[in-house]
Amino acid sequence: MSKPIFELVDNLPTNNMTVMMLKSLDFVIPGQWNNLVGFENTIREVTAETDQEMIQQIGDRAIWLYNDKSQGYQKAMWLYQTVDSADSALGTAALANKVGNKIPLVGGLLTKVTPNPDKAQALDLCIKLVVELVAFCQINGIPGDSIGDFVTSLADYSGESLMRMAALICVDGLIPLGPDFILKAQSTLNNTSPKELGSNSTFKQVQELIPGNNTNSQLSFIGESFDSVKGWMSNFVEDRNLTPNAIFGKFQGFLEFSENKLDYVAAFLDMTTNYYEHTGTQTLARRLIERAVAEI
Amino acid sequence: MIKLRQNGGWICSLSPRLPNHQIVFTCLLGMILLVTACTAAPPSRFDQAQQDSTSRGATSVVKESQAGGSFNRYFPEAGSGYQKVYSQEKKGFAEAKLKQDGKEVALMAISDTLNNPSAVNKFKNSTETIAGYPAVNQGKTATAILVGNRFQVKVLSRDPSFTASDREAWLAKFDLNGLSQLK
Repeated sequence: MSKPIFELVDNLPTNNMTVMMLKSLDFVIPGQWNNLVGFENTIREVTAETDQEMIQQIGDRAIWLYNDKSQGYQKAMWLYQTVDSADSALGTAALANKVGNKIPLVGGLLTKVTPNPDKAQALDLCIKLVVELVAFCQINGIPGDSIGDFVTSLADYSGESLMRMAALICVDGLIPLGPDFILKAQSTLNNTSPKELGSNSTFKQVQELIPGNNTNSQLSFIGESFDSVKGWMSNFVEDRNLTPNAIFGKFQGFLEFSENKLDYVAAFLDMTTNYYEHTGTQTLARRLIERAVAEI
Repeated sequence: MIKLRQNGGWICSLSPRLPNHQIVFTCLLGMILLVTACTAAPPSRFDQAQQDSTSRGATSVVKESQAGGSFNRYFPEAGSGYQKVYSQEKKGFAEAKLKQDGKEVALMAISDTLNNPSAVNKFKNSTETIAGYPAVNQGKTATAILVGNRFQVKVLSRDPSFTASDREAWLAKFDLNGLSQLK
């Protein structure tokens, strides 16, 4: 049985690799994300209620909604959890190696990390984007292939949802693939066969919830989704003058690495963070509580 | 007396007259209990809801409830500096954010109380009405009305500038008579 939603929210970390990385990305969307943890805390923050009886009713209803599989919230949680492939042991080891406030990216830590080839990284970016789309549809109750609705609502993304997208663009786009990551991802998609997609490890994990009857139509769906969101992503980058250098500069606030190891930074973060799961849990808690307080 | 100290400072005291195997057994039992206590999640005020909602046949939504999409037409029009952004549409529930100049100031929702019948109780002693329907203020930020003895329409402030009287005004803007006809 899956873990209770209140435990998942209560157990969100306050200071691990994921949190350090997301905090360093505050400059991308200043003040939008604060690491809200704890189920009751989230109820208070979202609803501004302090009355204990109200908090109980809101929490109880949110739990009922989450546990009703027909409501889609658990599928969204599964997607957010599954698309991240963090190695928590490596994250813990990295934190244990901290010198002062920084983790030196040297020696033993690096031997466990292999940078992804560009093609695998580009596919990861596209698949994560589609996972966001499908999770969005599950949470908001719209048909699972509503690309148009998703694109429209991106303009309305805020808080932890916007931070998830900011991290996707920075950590899975700009850092590993460079400033032309959108072009690279698109050309990768155009040159990927359904068979290649089918053997991609990230895809295999979430395949069952990607719209499409077979890998061929799933590949088309991923392509169509990416095509519809690329304008939003490129505006996001341009409006903020985001460059790999600017992001590396911020990462140096908590990581220590040399110029010739830049390739490893993305791979290291990929292995030691689970920002989709972390912020996805926060999004789910928020949506459940918003619905619960309206229904009680 | 024998005192045994475990890691973490746990101490068990035993009488020297106990046979060795009994000492070992008692300590093992203690350790098992300790380990169990450490791995189990602490009790939570939400345990009961978790248990009830995961029992066989439990459901948060009944099939007789209205589709969320059928509620959309009864929401008020925005305009004059306000925007309405639909945010959730689930069986028996629809919700929209109300924004003023891009900033979220309120949430507006219609829900079918067939899915959460206890929601109706708070209207029983209500002496207030909005547009002729029983109304209550709930907590600090919500005002709700009950339409057709079944549909709850609620407006929740999301910014201090959006007051209780704003909530009342917006509740009255819903197509409440239309909603009351919904079967």
